[in-house]
Amino acid sequence: MSGCEMIEQSRTTCALGGMYTALAMERVLPVLHCGPGCQAQARSLLGTINGAQSAVPFQESVIPCSNFGETDVIFGGADRLRTLIEHTQAAYQADLLIVFSGCTPEIIGDDTASVVSSFAASRTPVLFAETAGFRGNNLYGHAQLWTAICDQYLRPRGAEAVIPGLVNVFGIVPFYDPFWSAQLEELALLLRSVGLKPNIFYGRGKGLPEVDKIPRAEFNLLLSPWVDLPLVRRLREQYGTPYLHYPAVPLGPTETSRFLRALTDFAALSPARTEAVIREGEAQYYYYLNRNLQWLYTCRVLPKYFLVNASAAAALSLTRYLVNDLGLIPDKIYLPENVPEKNRSQVEGYFRDTELNKGVAGFPVIFTEDGGLMAAEFGDRLFDPGTLAVFGSFWDVLFCRERRIPFLSVTTPQGNRAFGVRHYCGFSGGINFFTDYFAVLAELGPFGM
Amino acid sequence: MALNLTNPEVQQREQRLGSITCYEGTLKDMAARGCSGCLGNQRRCFTTASSCTHFHALSLLIGIKDSVIVDHAPNGCASGLINFSSNRVTRIAKNPQHARIFSTNITERDTVFGALDKLRATIRAAYERYQPKIIYVSTSCTAAIIGEDVYSVVEEMRAELGITIGFAAVEGFKSKIWASGFDAYGHAVTDTILQAPTAKKNQVNYIAFADIGRQQVDELFARLGYEVLYLTGSTTNEEYGRASQSIATFGQCGAQSSYLAGALEQLYGVKYFQTYLPYGGIGFERFLREIGPFLGQAEQAEQIIAAERKKYRAELESLRQRLGGKTAVVLLGASYAYEYTRILRELGVNVLHTVGYHYDPRLDNQSAEPVAAVADARDFADVPTSVNDIQTMENYLLLRKLRPDFVVSRAHGDGCWAVRLGIPDIEGRIGLLIFGYKGLVNFGRAIADELDNQNFVRKIHAHYRSPFTPAYEAREPFFAIEKEAG
Repeated sequence: MSGCEMIEQSRTTCALGGMYTALAMERVLPVLHCGPGCQAQARSLLGTINGAQSAVPFQESVIPCSNFGETDVIFGGADRLRTLIEHTQAAYQADLLIVFSGCTPEIIGDDTASVVSSFAASRTPVLFAETAGFRGNNLYGHAQLWTAICDQYLRPRGAEAVIPGLVNVFGIVPFYDPFWSAQLEELALLLRSVGLKPNIFYGRGKGLPEVDKIPRAEFNLLLSPWVDLPLVRRLREQYGTPYLHYPAVPLGPTETSRFLRALTDFAALSPARTEAVIREGEAQYYYYLNRNLQWLYTCRVLPKYFLVNASAAAALSLTRYLVNDLGLIPDKIYLPENVPEKNRSQVEGYFRDTELNKGVAGFPVIFTEDGGLMAAEFGDRLFDPGTLAVFGSFWDVLFCRERRIPFLSVTTPQGNRAFGVRHYCGFSGGINFFTDYFAVLAELGPFGM
Repeated sequence: MALNLTNPEVQQREQRLGSITCYEGTLKDMAARGCSGCLGNQRRCFTTASSCTHFHALSLLIGIKDSVIVDHAPNGCASGLINFSSNRVTRIAKNPQHARIFSTNITERDTVFGALDKLRATIRAAYERYQPKIIYVSTSCTAAIIGEDVYSVVEEMRAELGITIGFAAVEGFKSKIWASGFDAYGHAVTDTILQAPTAKKNQVNYIAFADIGRQQVDELFARLGYEVLYLTGSTTNEEYGRASQSIATFGQCGAQSSYLAGALEQLYGVKYFQTYLPYGGIGFERFLREIGPFLGQAEQAEQIIAAERKKYRAELESLRQRLGGKTAVVLLGASYAYEYTRILRELGVNVLHTVGYHYDPRLDNQSAEPVAAVADARDFADVPTSVNDIQTMENYLLLRKLRPDFVVSRAHGDGCWAVRLGIPDIEGRIGLLIFGYKGLVNFGRAIADELDNQNFVRKIHAHYRSPFTPAYEAREPFFAIEKEAG
């Protein structure tokens, strides 16, 4: 299959999916210069079938779009884009517009950049993110958005002082991490608990005022295996802001404690205060776990091995949690999001960095973009019922149901059930995770019958 | 006009049927212009995200058994199919199966050097993974603009793999009407799984998304001595193969059903009934009075009508009491918009305005009989109407201006904005759920019940803060329509 880059059961959208990062910022509005159906494709995967989410307040069907058609292919769509931007400025209460361009205008050579730059003097700034679908997936689009913000929006820090304790939080990609908003709220609580001032860009009440403060942060915190790594490096050059790269959103007591200690060390926080936070978090976690222990040891099916087919970020968080806290062993890890070649060995290293005994640490980490690869490779493989669990996306539902494998959906497209403030972050996120997982095991009944 | 079923590419609705996505006026005016061939499409200077042919062709092709789709496109053009796939894997689904769709994943390099080798490799890999009986190859905006000769690879791979390989030319930019994607599905089905009849049967086709609610339709046609063959998302290929044996076809709506019904009529003489859709009481009666005699069952049809009228008379009367004088705006697809307009009037509701998400002046039937909307324009009072491809911003202003007691919409996003404006939204269910008098009273009950407790809507509205400017909120609804045809 060499030379074939095919994708089945896609877990990513095209680069236009980067618009969801903009939609997560209040009063920031994407303006789409692309085909009429491109938004609907991204929406289905990042919104509708991803926790039944839609954008607020700019719910998808009011997003301006040039709906690039045949006459535009022939005559160019630049003039229509200009008119669209003018109307958009008049119609929406937005403080920033970001033009996202799709495949068609880019191939026919529309000069989108010059249309956008003609709005330089307008009251509402207009940025341009080049996001033709053939250039990459939504993570590429997310990076393009941030490049646009850094290049076209952020100002030099000038005379403004660094705000002590202010920390920019990067790495969680809104919507692509289905639990993003609650995840960030929990993370903010954690950071505040150890004495930091989190600066978060996405979610309710978050947006441009937070983006404006980026240059004034004491440091940048990157919580992902590879996404946003170029961004924090760039910000170090642009503003001299140092960064702490902790590769996973901490989930469960082991990782959360480790993360908080690394943070305390990096930012020279009070170790005593941090240790108190850890003690309290662990106490809460183990109180709830102990309440389920009798149930757990009553004829339950408790798989020892697990497969993951998820974004690198989700896969890493939960692999570390499953290994370190729940005592499971990875069977195989699939990362179907096209992790760039140059990051792969480092990312794989993060998966090896757990408390797993060396004897069982030889599990493969597969870099692909083909979401269907796990099912295809699994094929008719024999396994003892009740020995295996799978953590993936809604695409994996049937694979698991047919084989009676306990399954929890943790990655985009997560599914079509709303989950509100659910999150898998920190100590309480660990409680959320094991209760969701035990609920899956409960469905199998005692003895797995 | 006959369908061109031999060309690999489907002809778009605009060219084939004169369909449009932009109009503002009244139904009688639009119908008259459409019939005289002078209904030009207009443009808007301000538009919001809509939908495309590609998405909707694939949404139906995934339902064909033993097939996989190879989408010759960048990754994103198939990523949204999880939306339709999710409906197919519910715990109550009869034969749950995820959409089997492979993207060739056209990348930047391919836009320069071409990607036909990747297409070949993906077709082979898809075949290896599932050993399907059929592979449908679909095209995309990018594939078309870079000039990929996709069909030549289709022909080549037919020879190599020895299986059926269908072709769906569905470049999103080529048609403003996403229903052209349904046509591409009809074209591909005709090309791959329809078969010439060995004999004709007492059988009628029903073409739709789903066969939900089929029981009463089966019973009805059984009384007429006919069996119904459902051509929907859960149809087997053998059943598609038997469609040509039917003597008549009707469909859920002109948007979804027209092409396949037209092809069955053109190729195999299966009469396509499309003037009177069987929805609500009036629709049901007209439908039965048209198809009953054709099936040689005029008398039986009259008896059924009389019995159904009697069965639902009392409840219908009480619903008319509850709903009399209420006002509504309808926002639905090309057929259902005007079906629900008539149905609401049958319930005593005053329809202030009807928004259709496109408009077909005619369909693919061979006869000169009018489309359902034109028949209603002829037979009933006029209604203000507009046509847009889900232009929610326009519809929002319209709802603000008209302030109806409720709206009827579905799935396309407009209903949420009605609710934010404090206007209850009733789902205009499609397919057999609105069939006949039973559908009529069920729908009427749903409206009356919703209006009996509006707290959900009232409180969402109370917490709604418009994200639009006061200047926009004050605009006339149709300001964006550019008057000259284009």
